[in-house]
Amino acid sequence: MAEPVITLRHFFERARAGQLTGVRCRKCGELAIPPKELCPACYERAWEPVPLGGEGTIASYTVIRVAPRAFMADAPYAVAAVKLTEGVSILGRIVDIPLERLAVGLPVRFRPIVRNSQTAIGFGPA
Amino acid sequence: MRRVAVIGVGVTKFGKHERTSSELFAEAAADALADAEISADRVQALYYGNVVGSETEHQLHTGPQAASILGIPAIPTTRFEAACASSHAAFRHAVMEVGAGVSDVVLVGGAERVLNVPTPDSTEYFAYASDAVWEQTLGLTFPGVFALIARAHMQKYGTTEEQMAAVAVKNHKHGALNPKAQFQKEITLEQVLKSAYVADPLKLYDCCPFTDGGAAVVLASEEVARKSRRPVWVLASAAASDWMLLGDKRDLSRVPATERAAALAYKQAGLAPTDVDVVELHDCFTIAEIVATEGLGFFEPGAGARAAEKGMTSLGGRVPVNPSGGLKAKGHPIGATGAAQIAEIVTQLRGDAGSRQVSGARTGLTHTLGGNTATVLVSLFGRG
Repeated sequence: MAEPVITLRHFFERARAGQLTGVRCRKCGELAIPPKELCPACYERAWEPVPLGGEGTIASYTVIRVAPRAFMADAPYAVAAVKLTEGVSILGRIVDIPLERLAVGLPVRFRPIVRNSQTAIGFGPA
Repeated sequence: MRRVAVIGVGVTKFGKHERTSSELFAEAAADALADAEISADRVQALYYGNVVGSETEHQLHTGPQAASILGIPAIPTTRFEAACASSHAAFRHAVMEVGAGVSDVVLVGGAERVLNVPTPDSTEYFAYASDAVWEQTLGLTFPGVFALIARAHMQKYGTTEEQMAAVAVKNHKHGALNPKAQFQKEITLEQVLKSAYVADPLKLYDCCPFTDGGAAVVLASEEVARKSRRPVWVLASAAASDWMLLGDKRDLSRVPATERAAALAYKQAGLAPTDVDVVELHDCFTIAEIVATEGLGFFEPGAGARAAEKGMTSLGGRVPVNPSGGLKAKGHPIGATGAAQIAEIVTQLRGDAGSRQVSGARTGLTHTLGGNTATVLVSLFGRG
């Protein structure tokens, strides 16, 4: 049995400490975030974890005004698709950026959001 | 594979009901059997779609429950959960069962009940179809998912909020002609544009409603169908998936699962987009209709918004889309939607759609999308 190179638990432990982590395929060089069991490019199982810089730009964003019950107190809040400098993309909650300043192409930086001992992906000002 | 036909359809009124989802399904199923002029004891299996039954009705095992309340408890039942595409996924598997010669008569349908819970709760339950670790933790909602897609489409192609609003106006115009629709009333472009933002850039009138309802269709082998009154033939039924996470998708302005499922369906049927006379597609949000008309090959990527604005997808236009009113105006009981779309296309191809009839329609297409664009079903139908 191959040990997973990084489990979700380990990913979020590192994220909570401020470090965003991807995985790179040792066979073909494909970079992925979040981690997957098989490489989607070559189907090998040869990942190694790689630290990511946490910097990127907003590819798309929305301001959520009608929220699920658990998030009603936060509304309105923004969620963005962020393209990281390394080329991969991930969704995150926007923090500390005024909603009216949001724009496609705006530079942002990874920031963990810890809430009820659960860590989520966030992005704040670059 | 044997040829397969739809020989009966049934749909409840869409809207708010003081009835359980299985009751709603049973009403639609009994109507479908009556329409097929076939006795319930001929049904050999049930393929059933239901999504948030666990949450809104505290109910699992809805397959046998639905068959029991219909009154045919002994047949094999399978419940499908593919988010909003559930009963279309059920349909594809039922087509394979009949096509493979396992059964000659199979019932397919679905139902949903959500208007018995407040909007913040239904918003949360629907969000369970996005990823619990990576997306729900952000407070992402389904309007939020399609808002991200809308913004990407606007950025890439210059699509405007007015063009998206034109889809809502068109579908309400169609829905006004459908006695089963949740909203049988027309709306103006100004009403859409002045409605409150739900998830920028999507406003209230860009979004389909929460809906209770049920739908069912009866599938039959060619031998059985030949003896039925007006069979409509299943020319293709195809499925495709895509990355679960929105962040894994390379281009948010497109839905690769739609493009893949459509290519498979056209190939199965030996048809091209230009052969399609009438379409029921998944307009859970106005932008979803625009992107779907592109992914299904009716317009080039980026041209769908202009096409909608010019009326090319209206009744009487080049390719009429959602004559039923679509999810936007007819309503979207998520477990029932795929079956309801098929019921509308069958009605259209039989020439029974009354004031919303697409005249001379011979070939129809249904398209149903589930979750973060991760599941798509496309089926093609023909008469005679």
